[in-house]
Amino acid sequence: MSDALVVLGSGPIRIGQGIEFDYSCVHCVWALQAMGHRAILINNNPETVSTDFDTADALFFEPVTLSDVLNVVHQTKAKGVVVQFGGQTAINLSEKLSNAGVPILGTSPESIARAEDRDFFEQLLSQLEIPKPPGRAVRSREEAQIVAQEVGFPVLVRPSFVLGGRAMEIVYDAENLDIFYKQAEDANPGQPVLVDKYVMGLEAEVDVISDGETTLVPGIMEHVERAGVHSGDSMAVYPPSSLSRKVQADMVSYACRLARALEIKGLMNIQFVVEDEQVYVIEVNPRASRTVPYLSKVTGIPMVPLATRALMGQQLSDLGYGSGLWCLADQMPSRPAWENPSNKDIGPSRVGIEVSPERYLESSIAQSAIYAVKAPVFSFQKLQRVEPSLGPEMKSTGEVLGIDRTYEAALYKALIASGIGFKPTGYVVLTVNNQDKLKAVGIAQKLKAAGYSLAATTGTHEALMSAGIENTMVHKIQSGTPNLIDLIGRGEVALMINTPDSGHTTTQEAMMIRRACIETGVACVTNIDTAEALTRSLDYFKDPERAQCLPYHEYFQGVS
Amino acid sequence: MEKILVIGSGPIVIGQAAEFDYAGTQACKSLREEGYKVVLINSNPATIMTDTETADAVYLEPLTPEFCERVIARERPDALLPTLGGQTGLNLATQLANRGVLEKYNVRLLGTPLSAIQKAEDREEFRQLMREIKEPVPESWIIQSTEDLQAILDQVPYPCIVRPAYTLGGTGGGIASSKEELWTIGNKGLALSMRSQIMVERSLLGWKEIEYEVMRDRMGNCITICNMENFDPMGVHTGDSIVVAPSQTLSDIEYHMLRTASLKIIRALGIEGGCNVQLAVNPESFDYYVIEVNPRVSRSSALASKATGYPIARVSAKIALGMTLDEIDNQVTKTTKACFEPALDYCVVKIPRWPFDKFASGDRTLFTQMKATGEVMAIDRSFEAAFLKAIRGLEVKQKDLRHAGFAAMNDAELKSAVRIPTDERLWAIAEALRRGWSVMDVNRLSRVDPWFLRKMVGLIELEGALIGLKDLLWDREQVWQTLERAYLAGYDSQTIQMLTGVDPEFAKDWSAVQPLVESAQPALAAATSLQAAENALAAHPEANRANQALWAKWDPLDLDVALGSTVLAFLTQYAHASYKMVDTCAGEFESATPYYYAVHGESDEIPT
Repeated sequence: MSDALVVLGSGPIRIGQGIEFDYSCVHCVWALQAMGHRAILINNNPETVSTDFDTADALFFEPVTLSDVLNVVHQTKAKGVVVQFGGQTAINLSEKLSNAGVPILGTSPESIARAEDRDFFEQLLSQLEIPKPPGRAVRSREEAQIVAQEVGFPVLVRPSFVLGGRAMEIVYDAENLDIFYKQAEDANPGQPVLVDKYVMGLEAEVDVISDGETTLVPGIMEHVERAGVHSGDSMAVYPPSSLSRKVQADMVSYACRLARALEIKGLMNIQFVVEDEQVYVIEVNPRASRTVPYLSKVTGIPMVPLATRALMGQQLSDLGYGSGLWCLADQMPSRPAWENPSNKDIGPSRVGIEVSPERYLESSIAQSAIYAVKAPVFSFQKLQRVEPSLGPEMKSTGEVLGIDRTYEAALYKALIASGIGFKPTGYVVLTVNNQDKLKAVGIAQKLKAAGYSLAATTGTHEALMSAGIENTMVHKIQSGTPNLIDLIGRGEVALMINTPDSGHTTTQEAMMIRRACIETGVACVTNIDTAEALTRSLDYFKDPERAQCLPYHEYFQGVS
Repeated sequence: MEKILVIGSGPIVIGQAAEFDYAGTQACKSLREEGYKVVLINSNPATIMTDTETADAVYLEPLTPEFCERVIARERPDALLPTLGGQTGLNLATQLANRGVLEKYNVRLLGTPLSAIQKAEDREEFRQLMREIKEPVPESWIIQSTEDLQAILDQVPYPCIVRPAYTLGGTGGGIASSKEELWTIGNKGLALSMRSQIMVERSLLGWKEIEYEVMRDRMGNCITICNMENFDPMGVHTGDSIVVAPSQTLSDIEYHMLRTASLKIIRALGIEGGCNVQLAVNPESFDYYVIEVNPRVSRSSALASKATGYPIARVSAKIALGMTLDEIDNQVTKTTKACFEPALDYCVVKIPRWPFDKFASGDRTLFTQMKATGEVMAIDRSFEAAFLKAIRGLEVKQKDLRHAGFAAMNDAELKSAVRIPTDERLWAIAEALRRGWSVMDVNRLSRVDPWFLRKMVGLIELEGALIGLKDLLWDREQVWQTLERAYLAGYDSQTIQMLTGVDPEFAKDWSAVQPLVESAQPALAAATSLQAAENALAAHPEANRANQALWAKWDPLDLDVALGSTVLAFLTQYAHASYKMVDTCAGEFESATPYYYAVHGESDEIPT
């Protein structure tokens, strides 16, 4: 086995590190085999494809920890280790393995550390002239308050080096800052806490593949919910439905600059927030992210095989790929990558083109022929006493994809596949916070027009009435019976739209309403942007036959 | 028959996770191997199953009866294999059959007939069948309405268990110890059940929970893949239990009694494929009850597959096509057939992974409703070693049996932590044993079998010896013996360093110098005179310098440093694990695609 290479798996499935990483590990193993290498896999999760007996050339059913990995490398005399597909579990070992003399394939441990070291990373962004929300890493409560004063509330407080937004909070005042600073500090003792201006804008993310020189951006995913909802819990649409061409070009340009500066060899994920056409980078992960399988499927770019070739030292340009954004080509001359004999076994399944950011700005690519919407899926029914509203900390356990020819149809599919729909009878109930009241009016109008009966609690009821929208008032829990909980219990709620007050710990009442929905199987939407998206797809709820039903590769046909 | 429709399990939720991607992918491969075209519908994009390479046509569409019907109308498959997509897939297949869709498009069902699935899943039909074949089932009441529930409140023996029918992973169930609790939990269960049906049954809290993974083909050939024992006794969902394979505390009589019962049950049901049978055994007598049967690929079958090397999903798919066990090749050995029962010459431990690091406010107590999002499995030669390895692989704060939170508790608090099952109970039990509570006392509180507790006592004694190693430093032989005992029991080098208190910085410096010193070692060992030794050292000036620098920085007479260098010397010399194979047959036959697990202090089976 002395010519073998080791691929590290991602360990047990947990919130923030799910099946997506197993998908990437399996494809990495297969890609290494296609390149003629022997691939060894280390993982201890019995539920996965990666630990199937015939996935790798040799499977070591062992924990993914330093001593266990070193032992396998020692005994098999493996030539190197791939750490970028096994989530945070694997990437966290890169520096220690490297110190023990084990070669890390792909992006170097130094670059990984640089991307994760906040101070260094901020310097890098400013050198590259890439904007980020103002703020910095702090090591004391006092320092946190100073930063908050400088940048102004609200601020985003989070620990460094942790997974899935754990202990991340949006803080609106000095008093709460003390509390959440402490939480973030406890979440990862000894590491600094990050305090940044909270930019309330649209969020988007990209996964890029780079060889250090050429950087391919397979696609941009725009989040449906505004900043403040963890990327793993937000719905996301590919291609973006509302980002301007300039904004997209900026994202691609920043991604290319970052990949080159960090000498990325393989995959990298970048998260952005956009406010007033200004793009800010909020996070960089120098590894495969949870969106890789989804993006691979909807762009047709075999992202993991390509990244595996890049991390083994091959050049993207030799494989038929160039720098820039990969788009569905319908007007631009197409250049199928498989025509290049050197990348036959990668086999892209569909035609596309890459355009550099500059050319992208100038080009006039028509509306995309497909839309794909990812929606999160939660397991709140199993977890009593867990607050189901969305926030910066990830709570979903899985995801679904809706694909169709229009954004609205894809949204519809993603929503029903994730269990959000209308019960056949009853009211659509709205009970929203003050900031959301304006949007709630628009949502209610559309629901009313589609023929749903509406009900709302006091404040929302009045807001709707004054906008001329007829609706039934229901009591909140303390204000006597029959109240909202009774209504839910009697099966008279078809759908609940309930948004939490921001900046305050959730009130007992709001949580009771949401839990009651969950426990009676009523869909409960807790974010106003999700609710708005829902109303965009009402036509399809009324007439589902309008949505297509095709094998997914057929959605792409007719695109070239 | 040319084209087969497979329904996936959809998004990952608690109770239905990656195991269905694993099983589904394996089954699709298995069907295509036999020359069939596979059409797949699954809404989860993060799966290997939904790659265009896995099936001939992949529909990433919502898993609703309507979309399934549209797929059937468009693809016109000849058959549907319903047992691969978990409860979601099974429920959809049932809905399609009930709506007449399968009949309309002339789609036949493969594998276990729906009638058998219904018999296994419907509590009343299942009990009726068990009565016919004289297998014991706990007394229970089927409740279909609030009135029914009201009527039994005074008849039921408390505590009793409430299980809703037709839900995912026991959603909505619970244990009621009073009329009031039964009323609340019962009504909730009625609301969550797809058929508004719940079962209330005698509680078997504290009994041993045993599972058998069995397989049957259409000719009636039956085999046991393996059996598994839950460390946590009855009362904790098996998905939330620590599970050990094979069972460790059953007598031979009990083992065969339960095996016979399991095989009798799948024959009576007419299962064609893999099936999971859950049984409860009284720890004080030979009494047992049949608890539940899963007539499909499940989380347990995925675990059993990995624990034995026997690809249950693959073989189940072939059986569904009408093949018999003696016709199907064992893919791991490639020399035997699927009718050979796997032999295990090792011990497997599974520990679930729970999301309470994220949901600090969540209710951590474990009951009949599953809460874990994932799990780890560890294989080793002994229960102790596999147990330690599993804990180490969980990626939680605790890397061994110590837990600061429980250590800080007073006895009363600890007592309740041992009694009430939670995600962290194993550490509470460890702490109780560390305090010298007797095995029988801890057993009375936790109902965990004394056999497991005694094993934990052994590990805790070693842990104590490692922590106290410094006091033994004057006796090098005893130090080495202690280290060797701990290492052979399964403590890995990182944990040994942590427990003995080796300064990580010293370890780093020492390890950096060690390879250099080793390079000079042969010449030094060969030197027969002082002069020769000096010459040997002089010939390796780099090693000499590094060595001197190390001992200039660290005082060799300091006790901690002396301890550190002793422990590190031991680990360098001894602590390289070797690897054994999982080959389904305990080495009896040649094996083509075995996989490996680490062991301490045994010979290596990796081919060179």
